[in-house]
Amino acid sequence: MSEVISARALRELIGGWLKAGIRVAGPRRVATDQVAYAWLDRPEDCLLGGYIHPHNSIKEFFFPRHESLYEYRIEGKKIALKNPEPLADERIVIGARPCDAAAMPILDHVFNWDFKDPFYNRRREQTTVVTLACREHDHECFCTSVGLGPDAERGSDVMLYELDGDMYEVRCVTDKGGNLMAGRTETSQLTGSVPPGPAKKFDLAYLRETIGSKFESPVWTEATLRCMACGACAYTCPTCHCFDIVDEGNARGGIRAKNWDACQFPMFTLHASGHNPRNTQPQRQRQRVMHKFSIYPDKFGDVLCTGCGNCTRHCSVHLGVQTVLEAAEKSWRNATV
Amino acid sequence: MCACEARDNTDSLADGTISRRENIYQPSLMEVLQVRRQSADVKSVRLRFSDEAEGKAFSFKVGQFGIFSLFGYGESVFNICSSSNWKDYIEFCFRKTGRVTNALWNIEEGDTLGFRGPYGNYYPMDAWRGKNLIFIGGGIAMPPIRCAIWYALEQRQDYGDITIVYGARTVGDLVYADELDEWATRERVRVVRCVDPGGETPDWKGEIGFVPTVTEKAGIAASNAVALVIGPPIMIKYTLPVLAKMGLADQDIYTSLENRMKCGVGKCGRCNSGPVYVCKEGPVFTLEQIRLLPEDF
Ligand code: SF4
Ligand code: SF4
Ligand code: FES
Repeated sequence: MSEVISARALRELIGGWLKAGIRVAGPRRVATDQVAYAWLDRPEDCLLGGYIHPHNSIKEFFFPRHESLYEYRIEGKKIALKNPEPLADERIVIGARPCDAAAMPILDHVFNWDFKDPFYNRRREQTTVVTLACREHDHECFCTSVGLGPDAERGSDVMLYELDGDMYEVRCVTDKGGNLMAGRTETSQLTGSVPPGPAKKFDLAYLRETIGSKFESPVWTEATLRCMACGACAYTCPTCHCFDIVDEGNARGGIRAKNWDACQFPMFTLHASGHNPRNTQPQRQRQRVMHKFSIYPDKFGDVLCTGCGNCTRHCSVHLGVQTVLEAAEKSWRNATV
Repeated sequence: MCACEARDNTDSLADGTISRRENIYQPSLMEVLQVRRQSADVKSVRLRFSDEAEGKAFSFKVGQFGIFSLFGYGESVFNICSSSNWKDYIEFCFRKTGRVTNALWNIEEGDTLGFRGPYGNYYPMDAWRGKNLIFIGGGIAMPPIRCAIWYALEQRQDYGDITIVYGARTVGDLVYADELDEWATRERVRVVRCVDPGGETPDWKGEIGFVPTVTEKAGIAASNAVALVIGPPIMIKYTLPVLAKMGLADQDIYTSLENRMKCGVGKCGRCNSGPVYVCKEGPVFTLEQIRLLPEDF
């Protein structure tokens, strides 16, 4: 026994949410050749299948590229600060991939260990994530190498499985998901399933064990010298969370904003004195990979990567953590010492 | 290394507005009480909380840092260089180097700045009780040492001999020069000043040479001592062997890392160096801890 919904009813449901003033984001064709998670204006904007992975990630609905932290007004020598706009709207992300949904509980750690980030947390509370299990993968996908898979439920409130005949099986994972879909589904005999997903690309246990002692390994330089420091890997990554804080305004006032940043940029670690601890691109690549596979898991218990493949898929020199880790495993296993 | 317990700052307003208390990124407003020029490109600033109650509730420990901001220009990270015993104001010191500090250069009395903090760990002043203190600083690194010096002088009975070695490129680059003079008059305090060769003036009475060499020649007694060494990476690098030769153990040598930071609250990823977030688990580390970090700071 299962719960199902037809594609048509699902679209009507999306239309109903939009009409009720709920902000709905989903995969949307933004260019002939490009699908991105974006806010939907109409239910027909939403692609419910036919894409592997959108070119961005759902993190931007929780941790936007640009966000006002507060407003300031300058009146002579006095300053007045104003709270940011209320974050009260209910939100739904539909058509998320499991590797995107899983990123959110992983990011919860850094946004809450000690100081709690209210902006991020508020959006986490407000947002329901409806995930579409993957029937296909491409060469860059490697969720299975980091303990996830084409229908991993982590971070999802609802899982959808494509069925034949324009139907979806609906599995509610959380109460939030249950409430969202209550009364919207029909009982059926059909159950969805997905193929096993990509073959493993590297041995995570081996790399986790080894990587901590490989700071000086030549593989970092060998494998990453071709990186051009564009930052696309970090910006398309569902788990990269670095940001900058900047003032945007004029002589009378403005906002202080949190903007995405990336450890791949040379300026990222430049000290005021001119000293730069990560002066070369391989050092910066090593930081990205080690942060995800050594520092973050040591500290928070989760690898900071869901295997979505975006960092390789969108890299113009086909790098990304997958490429680097494959090279690293090969090199370290072959090393005589 | 880290004393991190989760803080509960949840207190949102009914309409979904993130409240002042909840917004970890929103600074307190502070009034500029005094700006002093310390050298050709360094100024010190004294600040008081605009909100009296906020000022009363505020406390910090020497060694911690704050995020200071000039609205319209942005935020910058500086050590709080006043002593934690001083209740009515805090101070920081900056060198004119970038966009924010160039704009800060023009602030004057009565202006309003933003302040978030205190952040990070601090000097273990309690654990240093009963010890001789060796402070070694280079260039703009005097301010983060100064707070500890004043603190120790104010609790004079708690600490043994105090030795201060401070060097800069030229005589004009020595900051807090007047306070150095004052410290030198105190009992059981020895101040050794030095400038790089060629940086002296005709009436210069201090040493001429680099901090590591001057430290080595100063004949400082290292028994029962701890050292706080802050300065450019190159100065630290060459001073450490000198301290080791004097007999100081790695766990008795402290420094404060100057990693670039943005958020100060363990979120933005900027200060991450090896396994640590410098803004949370630092900035104060012993040499013993530093040796465990990769060469990444
Ligand atoms: S790895 Fe690729 S995507 Fe990332 S910064 Fe380098 S060139 Fe850009
Ligand atoms: S590191 Fe790459 S594969 Fe991993 S989550 Fe980020 S973009 Fe996806
Ligand atoms: S300064 Fe942002 S994480 Fe440390």
